[in-house]
This record gives sequence, structure tokens and C-alpha cells, in this order.
Amino acid sequence: MSDMQAKLRETAKKLLESGEVGYIIGWGKGRTNKTSPVFVKEPAKVDELVWNEYCLNTLAKYTMDNMYPEKKIGLCVRGCDSRAVNRLIQDNQLKRENVYLIGLPCEGKKDPVTGEMVKKCIECMHHNPLEADVMVGEPVQEKGYPDRFKDVEAMEALSADERYEFWAKQYDKCIRCYACRNVCPACNCRECYVDQYRVGWQGKQNNRAENQVYGLTRAYHIGDRCIECGECERVCPVGLPLMKLNRKLLKDANELFGEYEAGMNTEVKPPLGTYKLDDHEEYM
Amino acid sequence: MKLAKNKLQQAFDLMAKEANLLVPMKIEGVTKFAPWGAEGELAMDAVNTLLPPKDALFPQTEKMYKYKTRLTQVESLEEIKETDKQIIFGIRSCDMHSIDCMDEVFLTRGYVDSFYSRKKENLTTVAIGCTKVLPTCFCDSMGLNPVAAPTADVQLNDLGDYYAVKAQTEKGEALVNLLKPLLEEGDGEAAALECTLKVNMDGVQKKLMNVKMFESDIWQETAQKCIGCGTCTYVCPTCYCFDIEGKECGNEGYKFRCWDSCMFSEYTRMAGGHNPRPSKKERVRNRFLHKLAYFEDRYGKGSLCVGCGRCVADCPVDLDITMFIDKVGALKEAGSND
Ligand code: SF4
Ligand code: SF4
Ligand code: SF4
Ligand code: SF4
Repeated sequence: MSDMQAKLRETAKKLLESGEVGYIIGWGKGRTNKTSPVFVKEPAKVDELVWNEYCLNTLAKYTMDNMYPEKKIGLCVRGCDSRAVNRLIQDNQLKRENVYLIGLPCEGKKDPVTGEMVKKCIECMHHNPLEADVMVGEPVQEKGYPDRFKDVEAMEALSADERYEFWAKQYDKCIRCYACRNVCPACNCRECYVDQYRVGWQGKQNNRAENQVYGLTRAYHIGDRCIECGECERVCPVGLPLMKLNRKLLKDANELFGEYEAGMNTEVKPPLGTYKLDDHEEYM
Repeated sequence: MKLAKNKLQQAFDLMAKEANLLVPMKIEGVTKFAPWGAEGELAMDAVNTLLPPKDALFPQTEKMYKYKTRLTQVESLEEIKETDKQIIFGIRSCDMHSIDCMDEVFLTRGYVDSFYSRKKENLTTVAIGCTKVLPTCFCDSMGLNPVAAPTADVQLNDLGDYYAVKAQTEKGEALVNLLKPLLEEGDGEAAALECTLKVNMDGVQKKLMNVKMFESDIWQETAQKCIGCGTCTYVCPTCYCFDIEGKECGNEGYKFRCWDSCMFSEYTRMAGGHNPRPSKKERVRNRFLHKLAYFEDRYGKGSLCVGCGRCVADCPVDLDITMFIDKVGALKEAGSND
């Protein structure tokens, strides 16, 4: 781990010194075990970058804060971050030539409080960056995630009433902080439907109905574009099992349109973003 | 007086007969103050709950008035008044002080918010001294004492198998009177407790109020990683911003207010589309200045951050107010960049 950290800093330093990149987005040290996204501009400050078992946040979406950078943005990418990059490129929110990808194979990250591997990393199917301009560290063994749809199948086995009750309890908890949306690389709309206050798609009251409208709408909006990084579920302060929803839509997409994972490349279009004459009607 | 811990449930039953009793509960994995008897487990050891108790006085969604219309005429207009008695049991010093702060906002300076004030009149608070702190607690750095909440109606302190019970106000005496059949003679001093997380607020408010701070680079640096969610403000016991909207169906409807967050882009967006706080830099600046400088400036009652540590624990990107305080404290002078 620390070898990789040293190599990351060295790489970062070179990139900044040569002027190849304007700044680097990576992880830095928090007060506790936690890490926190950092933006390093000066070669002298590359020691602010850390690479350890607590580097949890996905970073790609920060490129949206600077859509017309003067120089390339150096972006640290693990498997999930690289899929997020593909997501943003495919959604026309990022140009490949605007980023310099520093690839970091990742064995999975731990919760800084409990010290246990976090759920999103247990469920990760791509630990190695799918694309990088430079690689730091050796590729790690991919394990896949055979249980990808197991939770969804368990939900599907319940009756409609039982499912309603399950989700009602969950959405009664939602505080509508929108952390799930804001952290999500697929939620990259310049203006979210939630914020279109004049149209009023989304009511502001916090109650079961409005909260469910929000949850369902977001789930559908990202239905075939969710890269399964699990960040929404990780950041939800009240612990909604959001990946159950997201994977339900992905499972349907897989069953109706053939095997599919989002953000694997920039060529294969999301199934709902294309139209074929023999498409299934059921999805509508 | 003292209350044996094995009589706690009986005490709850007694209080629940008199008022809507809110106790710390864990419901679907979330600790919060919920009505005694709700489905979930009692969570007396939660230190501070994930969600603050501000909901009891300032609900996330609160109906204000309802109306009926006929053609262009108002047929009826009625304020919705909640007059139920409430008891918050087990509130910690930080959250108790958050109520003091909200009192300033909603009840002073020439305007009394009738919705808040009705709830406050009908509220009795029972504070409990902490016996352990969380790694994110820093209330003693903000001038509070984890084992004493002077403005609570009743103060409890955990002394092993019983709680020392002390009434601190008239309302508190009434409550202690109600519990009398369960109480025993006796007393005891709570052991002092210190937070492990320390910040130094010395000079920080003054520096932040300096006009040179407003355009400091510190804001961009601090805000860069913020993702603009509302987590910090919604878990904060002292964030009190709200929006008012209406819901109309046919010829009747109601107006409600609901929590709003200065971290949302829509919060400051004006009717014409202009937004005076266009990016996260301005929004984070507002939140921190409000917490650490403006509130003291307006009310002279210290900081609007009570040191509960919730935003520190829950921010998805670890944008930590305590690290910000340290950073400002370390500045040579206001407005300098190191
Ligand atoms: S992060 Fe959780 S609480 Fe916040 S809006 Fe999303 S589902 Fe609701
Ligand atoms: S919820 Fe929908 S509208 Fe909002 S950002 Fe996500 S995809 Fe866009
Ligand atoms: S400071 Fe953290 S919790 Fe607050 S809006 Fe920013 S990202 Fe969300
Ligand atoms: S700003 Fe943070 S630490 Fe301070 S009172 Fe609010 S939630 Fe608690």
C-alpha cells in the first residue's frame, strides 16, 4: 500500500512539474482514519495525496466543476472511478482529452469507523481501472460478484404488499438530503428535475409519498446508466438500501436487452438510450 | 432525588400519559427521538442521536394554515395550531443548547414565530449527562459541559444503577412531582467528562467577521470537495432555515413550511433565475460564517455550532468544521493565506 502511495506521489509530482496536468484530484488525510478528496496544484504539495485502505470516495464527478480546464485534470481512478469517467464521457459531461487518468488497482476499501470492508467494495466487479494514462501498482485479481442480483431476487420473491411495506419503511426515513444524487456519477444533469422548482415535479414536503416519488424517479433516471459504484448507498446518512433499487432496474435491463454493465466503455450505448425494432415492449 | 434505572419504563409510562413523550430510539437503523412506544429499540446509550431532536419544535414539514376558496373569494382561512404537550427525554447538552439557539431565532428580535412558540411553551426537556463521548463530539470546546445542561427543565445524571434527578425550572418541578411515586431520596455528583476532539475558538469569530476574510482563498480551498448535499444542514441541530410552499387541490389547500438548506443551489435562486450564491464556495462560506460568526454577531450568545459533531461524522466527503476552525485559528491574520 505505502509503496503505491510513494509511487502515486512521485507520478503526481512529475505530472505537475512537467505541466502535463493543472492539478490532481485524489484522496487526502482527514482528522481520523477517514480520507477526503483533495485537489493538489503544486508539486511541493504532492505529499497531501494518500493511498490507503480508506480511500472511499469516487472522484470523477469533480471534473464537472471545471468543464473547460486550461490544462488536463489529473484524476486518480480505481475501477469504479474509471467507469464513472466513461459514464461522464458518454453523457457528454466530460471530454477524454481533458483528463489524465492515474490508474490505481484497488483491492477494496474499509470503513474508517468499523475497519471492515465496505459493502460497495465487496460487491465490486472491476477492481482494476478500465482505462488509464499511467498505472500505479500491479493489477489485482478480479473476483467478480456472482451474487449481483441476489438481493433483487429476494425482493422479487416477496408479495407486492410486503415489498410496499419494506420500501415504505425505508422512505419514511429519507431526509431528502440528496446526497445520493449529488454523489452519483450518473446523476450528472446540469439541472436536476428536483431543482426545477417552477415546474414542480418534485414536491418539497418530507413525507412517504414525496420521498418515494424522489426515490423512484431517480432510480428510473439512472436505470440503465448506473455504474454500480455503490456510492449513493454508502453516503446515505440514514442507510437506505439504494442498490436494491438500482440493481432491480439493471436486472430488468439485462433480462430484456441482454447482458449489460454500464460504464464499461464509451461505445456501447445504454439500452434505453438506443432504439431497436425488436425491442421489448414490457419495459415501457 | 434519584430514579432507579429499573423504574425507567414506569417513568416513561407515567410521562406518556401526560404528554407526547419523545425518547432516543433506534428505528430501522436510525437513532432519533421518537414517541415512546414506537416500533424500535430504546437507545439511551446513543450519546447523540443520528438525527437531532429539533424536529419536535421545528418539524421537517409543518402545515401552517389551510384555506378554502370560492371563485376569487377566500371562503375560510384557518391557522393550524399544534398544542400537544411534548416531553423530550434524554436530550444531551449539545442538543439542549441548540434549542437555546433556536429560541433566539424564533422568539426574539421583535418577531415571535407562533408555530415555534406554541410548541416551545408545551415542551418540557429532560437532559441527561453524557458518560462517554463520541470521537466527533467537541461540545466542551464550544463552551458547553457534557454532563450539565443548565437550560433544561430537568437534569439527569447517570450514576450507575440510578439517575440523579434535578429540577431546574418550574416545568421541571412539575415533572419531578409527576414522577414522585417512583423517585427515592438521594443525590450524587456526575463525574466530569471531557471530549477527546478539541478545537480552539479563540479569536476565530473575530477573524471571520473581518471583512478581509470574505474574499479569502480559504473558501475555495475548503469548499472544493463539497458535493452540495444537504446532509450537514439536515443533521445539524441548529440549522433552522425553511421554505414555505403550498399544496392546492380544487378549491382548497394548505401552506406548509419545510426545512431548506443553504447548501442547495436552489436556496438562493431568485425568481428571475439569478443566483447570488452561484457555487459551492459561496454556499460553504455562508454555512460556516453563519455557524461560527454571524450568529454571535447578531445574538451575542456564542456560536451557532454547538459541537455535536454530526456534520463531521456524516458528511460524505469529510468536510470537517473542526478542521476549518483550526485552519482559521492558525491564520496569521484575517484574510492572509497562511
Ligand atoms: S441520501 Fe438517503 S436520505 Fe438523502 S435523499 Fe438519498 S435516500 Fe434520502
Ligand atoms: S435524479 Fe434524474 S434529473 Fe436528477 S440528476 Fe439524477 S438523472 Fe438527472
Ligand atoms: S459539507 Fe458535506 S454534508 Fe455539507 S453539503 Fe457539502 S458535502 Fe454535503
Ligand atoms: S455545525 Fe456540525 S457540529 Fe456544529 S452544531 Fe451543527 S451539526 Fe453539530
